[in-house]
Amino acid sequence: MVKSTTKDARDLFHTLRSAYVATPTNLKIIDLYVCFAVFTALIQVAYMALVGSFPFNSFLSGVLSCIGTAVLAVCLRIQVNKENKEFKNLAPERAFADFVLCNLVLHLVIINFLG
Amino acid sequence: MMNLSRSVALISLFLLPLLSFSFSVDNPTDRRVLVLLDDLSLKSSHSIFFNNLKSRGFDLDFKLADDSKLALQRYGQYLFDGLIIFAPSTERLGGSLDSKSIADFVDSGRDLILSADTSASDLIRGIATECGVDFDEDSSAMVIDHTSFSVSDVDGDHTLIAADDLVKSDVILGKAKIEAPVLFRGVAHSLNPTNNLVFKVLSASPSAYSANPSSKLSSPPQLTGSAISLVSVMQARNNARVVISGSLQLFSDRLIRSGVQKAGSQNQYEKSGNEQFVTELSKWVFHERGHLKAGSLVHHRVGETDEPAIYRIKDDLEFSVEIYEWSGKSWEPYVANDVQVQFYMMSPYVLKTLSADKKGLFHTSFKVPDVYGVFQFKVEYEKLGYTTLSLSKQIPVRPYRHNEYERFIPTAYPYYGACFTTMAGFFVFSFVYLYHK
Repeated sequence: MVKSTTKDARDLFHTLRSAYVATPTNLKIIDLYVCFAVFTALIQVAYMALVGSFPFNSFLSGVLSCIGTAVLAVCLRIQVNKENKEFKNLAPERAFADFVLCNLVLHLVIINFLG
Repeated sequence: MMNLSRSVALISLFLLPLLSFSFSVDNPTDRRVLVLLDDLSLKSSHSIFFNNLKSRGFDLDFKLADDSKLALQRYGQYLFDGLIIFAPSTERLGGSLDSKSIADFVDSGRDLILSADTSASDLIRGIATECGVDFDEDSSAMVIDHTSFSVSDVDGDHTLIAADDLVKSDVILGKAKIEAPVLFRGVAHSLNPTNNLVFKVLSASPSAYSANPSSKLSSPPQLTGSAISLVSVMQARNNARVVISGSLQLFSDRLIRSGVQKAGSQNQYEKSGNEQFVTELSKWVFHERGHLKAGSLVHHRVGETDEPAIYRIKDDLEFSVEIYEWSGKSWEPYVANDVQVQFYMMSPYVLKTLSADKKGLFHTSFKVPDVYGVFQFKVEYEKLGYTTLSLSKQIPVRPYRHNEYERFIPTAYPYYGACFTTMAGFFVFSFVYLYHK
């Protein structure tokens, strides 16, 4: 029983890996960007756990900028992915333009809230 | 005839302000003293004490205690600055004087020396009780001490005691130490322990007790030991000073001139300590010494000279006050290291000891605490023997304005960094995404 579960896990991992290698490059770039944003957010949460939440607005602003931009990048990925039936009629340039505009608004709000 | 009387009246009108010259804020030593005696022979039997007072510039007015023309006030103005009552057996004072008028006299800030003796009348006891001193209820009791009596006591009943338990205060008893014991013969009194305005200047030794010397003791005496005070002093809250002595003979020439040797001790002194004791005590009670005056409180921010109307929390400020001491003739700068200032709002947030410079200026500097509200600078100085100083000045303290906070908070630098890193990352990402092959 134990051996089959570990073998299943390893098989799953290999399947995922080979499927991922097959994804288009632009989606991989988006994934990398999302990982970077989430990683930055995690560093900030760890720092807050260490030092305390004194300028809470600054903490929220920092974390929100990372999470917000990650969410927007995920939305871009969904809209740009050719395998996604829902957004077949949406031009990828339009999706990218939306992404840029939303990010601009996000960063404006973030800098204001940073204090 | 009419012209003469009219010109005399005019001249006396001009002289009247001079005649009513008494102690004032600028010159606190008393001037005119009324001396009430129950027997005019006291003038000669206590001549050393009275001549000493006269030589120091006091105007003594001797009157019999039951003189019907006695008056302390005329038309609402007090005629005297000090009162000496050497009339222990007088039951009723003459003229307009009674214990209430004497209490009013002290309430007005004027000083009193009261002395009882082997017989103290109810009037004298009443005046003493008003000042917080209780004489022994037994009217025939005297202070007896079988170990601290003077060897020159001729009666042999050990009522002439040689006391040396003096209060330790340079301002009351002078800088020079009184070497010889003080001779005392009279009644005992005690002080209420909760009263913090009276204190003992000359206490009896632990072996003294108060009883009738000519009869056998039927029960243990009520007043014993160091609870017996021989000479006490009260400084009222308005800085009037009262000396209450249980012995009139303490002031007499006979005891001043006599030598003293305490029983059981080898030291024999040619002259008792009485003269020095009564002289120094009279200097203190008539405000020749130990009288303080304070200028106004000055405070300002460090680096400025004007007094601001409001402080901000965590401001640095400097505080100073000037205190002078009356030397009998002039105001000298007061030097002490225990004057303190409080920054007070319901309780002191800051309590600092002021440092004195030799010119009477006491100053310090501190940081306003991190609390806002209406504070007071308070200087409350109550040192034994000195007049009380009670000064205060109110000042509000406000919190930071919105633009007085620090612009960038150091703890938040990682968050600032993260935001800008994210923006840079977005910028780089968009380039890479658009132009990758």
